[in-house]
Amino acid sequence: MLETKKLTKNFKGVQAVSNLDLNVNAGEIVGIIGPNGAGKTTVFNLITGYLQPTKGKVIFNGEDITGQKPHVIAKHGVVRTFQLDRIFHNFSVILNVVTASYLYAGIGLSEAALNTSGYRKKNRDTCEHAGKILKFMRLDDKQDEIARNLSHGHQKLLGIAIALAATPKVLLLDEPLGGMNPAEVDRTLEIISEIKKRGTAILLVEHDMQAVMKICDRIVVLNFGTEIARGLPEEVQKNKEVIQAYLGTKKFYT
Amino acid sequence: MKLSKNWGYLFLILLIFILPIFIKSQYYLHILILSVINIILTSSLRAIAVTGQVSIGHAGFKCIGAYTSAIIAMKLGLSPYLSIFIGGLAALGVAGIIAYPITRVKTVYFSMLTMFFGIVVTLVTSEWRSLTGGTTGIMDIPSFRTITVLGMVIDFNSKLPNLYFALILMVIVLFFLYGLDRSYIGMTLKAISQDESLAASIGINVARSKAIIFCIGCFIAGLAGSFYAHYWGILNPDSFGLFHSIYLLIYMIVGGTDRFVGAVIGAFVLTLLPEVSRVFQEYQPLVFVAVLYLVVFLLPKGMVELPHQMKPLIRMFYRGRAEPHAGN
Repeated sequence: MLETKKLTKNFKGVQAVSNLDLNVNAGEIVGIIGPNGAGKTTVFNLITGYLQPTKGKVIFNGEDITGQKPHVIAKHGVVRTFQLDRIFHNFSVILNVVTASYLYAGIGLSEAALNTSGYRKKNRDTCEHAGKILKFMRLDDKQDEIARNLSHGHQKLLGIAIALAATPKVLLLDEPLGGMNPAEVDRTLEIISEIKKRGTAILLVEHDMQAVMKICDRIVVLNFGTEIARGLPEEVQKNKEVIQAYLGTKKFYT
Repeated sequence: MKLSKNWGYLFLILLIFILPIFIKSQYYLHILILSVINIILTSSLRAIAVTGQVSIGHAGFKCIGAYTSAIIAMKLGLSPYLSIFIGGLAALGVAGIIAYPITRVKTVYFSMLTMFFGIVVTLVTSEWRSLTGGTTGIMDIPSFRTITVLGMVIDFNSKLPNLYFALILMVIVLFFLYGLDRSYIGMTLKAISQDESLAASIGINVARSKAIIFCIGCFIAGLAGSFYAHYWGILNPDSFGLFHSIYLLIYMIVGGTDRFVGAVIGAFVLTLLPEVSRVFQEYQPLVFVAVLYLVVFLLPKGMVELPHQMKPLIRMFYRGRAEPHAGN
């Protein structure tokens, strides 16, 4: 569904990502792991148009979407979340998701300003859509709270809810479990696998190895922007290079 | 519930339109007209500010509208009723040209660019003597033509009809801006001000949205300026300087930016304030700064917060009186 071909990004001589080939299909979770600074988030930024690749291509359903603006890529159905709690802090929870349903709503400026009946109907539809997403994310009991007052775990979930509201075909999750307690991790993993079951393709960047091994269908390991291993979770776990990348070479310890 | 709210608005509008009949002083009518113009300007400034762009050159667009409308009415003999729209469109056109680069910068850089734009506009109007009359400005701008409505002769050389014209303009503008503010699109604009990257990630075209609302705000400023030109009959670059832009900003902040009505209240109260405090005429900027400081410290969300802030005070007052009977 989504693939990258020889994706490369240089930051003034530093190779943040080099020649990365990725692909993810509908109903599949592909994990991207690697030590800090390996270039995982850069890959997300390149795919979703926040950064322009130096070389290489991003292809979505056979269409070249390399280097398009973020909002155009979102329109294609490739939607990301952010590592930090990027939410609309001053809005209530439901308003966050209603706003995020912008693409679903398809409301134009003139109809909104003139308050046409078509606009009112779209508005109602959008609220319903947002309500369903909150229910799915188990956030419906929090819907009237101001987003900035939510706990960290709930803010993370809201971040995913915002992305889901944009009706993604490919969802890129950037550390969705960061800073969550074990119970929250379990619940979030459950939600992620449900999203997968609905036929959404998921790219997952995450540091929680247990969770990654449990939930991912395939894993790609990056180190210094280069792919050092790929395969099923069990294969990757046993890969020598991966262990080295994470733990360092033996001589540091002896 | 909704119906009663609509009736409330209708009643308010009626009240606004009936009250001026009882004002006999020409001077106060003049002040009211100025405050209505300021309400229009400040509301349009707020519409732009909602996306997180604070313009310090809004008076520049008022200036473009005013001069365009005045010059067109004088040189081409076009009716002021039409030329004010051309004035608005001129401001819109200039806004459209600079919108592309200007909305791509954020925060203080946006403010700086708009500020210099405003200064450039005043410079051009004072230097382009053949067209704008230089620093002396333009005089004898035609006022709106006398019309007859239902047998009533409305002569725009007196103040009251001009006030009604301004009020009608204000109601239309506020109706539009309020509708926009409350609508789905208004919500996406507020979302942009909170987090631009996040807004882009869910498919909102951030650059375009910011540019469009900027153009809308400037169109309204141009319209207000055009009206001012035909009402006052005299234009000179001084009335559109940097200070005017800054005052608009102060109106907006003092009124409160969170709620739509804030800009309206701020502009109204602060336009009347110098008249109330005529004793301090020479220290007018000082009075403004004092008010600004008081509001920022005591009412950080602006004057709209005042009734809300008063509640505990009132309750305290009542409790203070009730205490002897309370027994504990």
